[in-house]
Amino acid sequence: MAARPVITVFDAKTKGEVKETVPLPAVLTAPIRLDIVRFVHDNLAKNKRQPYAVSEWTGHQHSAESWGTGRAVARIPRISGSGTGRAAQGAFGNMCRSGRMFAPTKIWRRWHRKVNLKQKRHAVAAAVAASAVPALVMARGHQIDSVPEIPLVLDGIEKVERTKDLLKVLASYGAGDDLARAAKSVTLRAGRGKSRNRRFTVRRGPLLVYDDDKASVLKAFRNIPGVDAVSVHKLSILKLAPGGTLGRFIVWSAAAFKALDHIFGTYTQTGTEKGGYQLLRPVMAHADVTAIVKSEAVQNVLRPIKETPEAHDRKANPYKNKKAMDRLNPFHKLKKRIEMIKAKRSLGKQIFDLKYVFSTLTLNKYMLIDKLEILLQVINNIYAKIILWLRNAL
Amino acid sequence: MVKKGPKQVPESVRKLQARIEQAKQAKAKASQDLEAQKSALAAEAQAKAEKYLAEYIHKETTSNQNRAQAKKNDQFWVEEEPKVILVVRIKGINKIAPKPRKVLKLFRLLQLHNAVLVRNNKATRNMLRLIEPFVTFGYPSVQTISKLVYKRGFIKVNNQRIPLNDNVQISAVLGSKGIHCVEDLIHQLVTCGTCFKECNNLLWTFKLSSPIHGFNHKRTSFIQGGDWGDREKKINTLVNRMI
Repeated sequence: MAARPVITVFDAKTKGEVKETVPLPAVLTAPIRLDIVRFVHDNLAKNKRQPYAVSEWTGHQHSAESWGTGRAVARIPRISGSGTGRAAQGAFGNMCRSGRMFAPTKIWRRWHRKVNLKQKRHAVAAAVAASAVPALVMARGHQIDSVPEIPLVLDGIEKVERTKDLLKVLASYGAGDDLARAAKSVTLRAGRGKSRNRRFTVRRGPLLVYDDDKASVLKAFRNIPGVDAVSVHKLSILKLAPGGTLGRFIVWSAAAFKALDHIFGTYTQTGTEKGGYQLLRPVMAHADVTAIVKSEAVQNVLRPIKETPEAHDRKANPYKNKKAMDRLNPFHKLKKRIEMIKAKRSLGKQIFDLKYVFSTLTLNKYMLIDKLEILLQVINNIYAKIILWLRNAL
Repeated sequence: MVKKGPKQVPESVRKLQARIEQAKQAKAKASQDLEAQKSALAAEAQAKAEKYLAEYIHKETTSNQNRAQAKKNDQFWVEEEPKVILVVRIKGINKIAPKPRKVLKLFRLLQLHNAVLVRNNKATRNMLRLIEPFVTFGYPSVQTISKLVYKRGFIKVNNQRIPLNDNVQISAVLGSKGIHCVEDLIHQLVTCGTCFKECNNLLWTFKLSSPIHGFNHKRTSFIQGGDWGDREKKINTLVNRMI
């Protein structure tokens, strides 16, 4: 049995000093289920919404009535009264100027979504596991090239009191790049949100996960752009996978990290804090598909690679294409020769051709006489004498 | 610094390479066998072609001789009825009554200017009578059948219409019946041999072009100066203009 992999816990105060090593909590090996995370995130993100709607009576605060038929006007309700341009104008309809909108928005729209507790927990476990995969964290956009270890666990980070001290700690453990990225990204929001108390947008930087609710670091992180802090007992998918994207860069406090097994449980024991919660088991025990395919057990039973079937040659006209004719009827060449003999050629050439014909005809004595019959048929009278001579010679 | 030893090849890689080697050798052997088969076939094909040519010429000369003799003795020489009919579809696909439509389908004449070879017997003649206004037919000569097979010969392989480019294609299907080359096939078709059905069925319907210099007029029968129906030996001149 392989030993469980181990995570180093660094000392926050002294750069690079290893405090201790902690065995990997089981949550960090949970299957990374993007589908669950997406679903849960999409729904939970709806829960912070504030209702909006148009006023109930908008567009209806008139005593407009339709004039009915027979007056050569459309049947839309019209403003009652006279003496003003507004009179007789269409009202109430969504197509009318100053009319009520189509389907006026209501406050009793279903704004919030309920998500099953188990799903929420699976999503959080998946997001925590994803944060331990450097590739995913980098893919999300965090600058973690200088971070000594992912997951980054710092002992004593909870005790940091001042913002500048926290900055120093984070910088010494390679989080400085990510902080710089976040700080640089502060820009005015595009759109109306500017004037709705959402003036600036900023990238998400590292997420501090702490254990003690009264930790002094909770005041220290507030003014650093992009940094969030969340209690390990209250992990939220909205913070762990902002925008539904897995792999947030997390800076764990040692206490928080050690509490993970207690909270989520392991594969042999259900969670204590999340009562009875069992981590999802991965569908595949061995997820390296390439290795499986290349293994001998599989390769030995594979059939050989099917060659792409040769596209059939185009039909070659044997009457024009000599090669095609030769493939189908090797006798044709010879037959042509015999026919050429029939044509008027010099005696010398004729004898030459006859000799060629004779040498290439298959010497089956049973067929020999037939061949001579053929030659007799096709050759001129004069040349028949030559044939007779040949016959006698044999 | 790690000391560099002799280059180690992982066992899995070695085994994979061995497997690839084996597959390559098997493939080479298979192609060699095919080559050998092809050359044997070629020699056989040549011999057969000569034999059949002799046979055709012999038949023609004997028949000429018989006719000449009969003429000399003031007698009649009744030639044997031709065994094979060549049917060519003259009419397009529209406005055909159900029964003739069915018969045309049975004869595999699904398209204008399609041609097929058909056995000559009471059954098929009656069928031809049903579709007379839509086809023209007659008795093909050896040369016509040869030309059809060589120039317009496609075979049915896996319900696909594949060009006939090599004797191996024929040997693969009809080898068990002793037909290994095109000349064998043509011989069966000409003489309506024991494997006429298989040979004819192996061949896809001949798709001919429209005749150079055209038809007379397709609306009346050949006897009336038009085109449809039985035109006996004259089918050869027509089909030669359509090949």
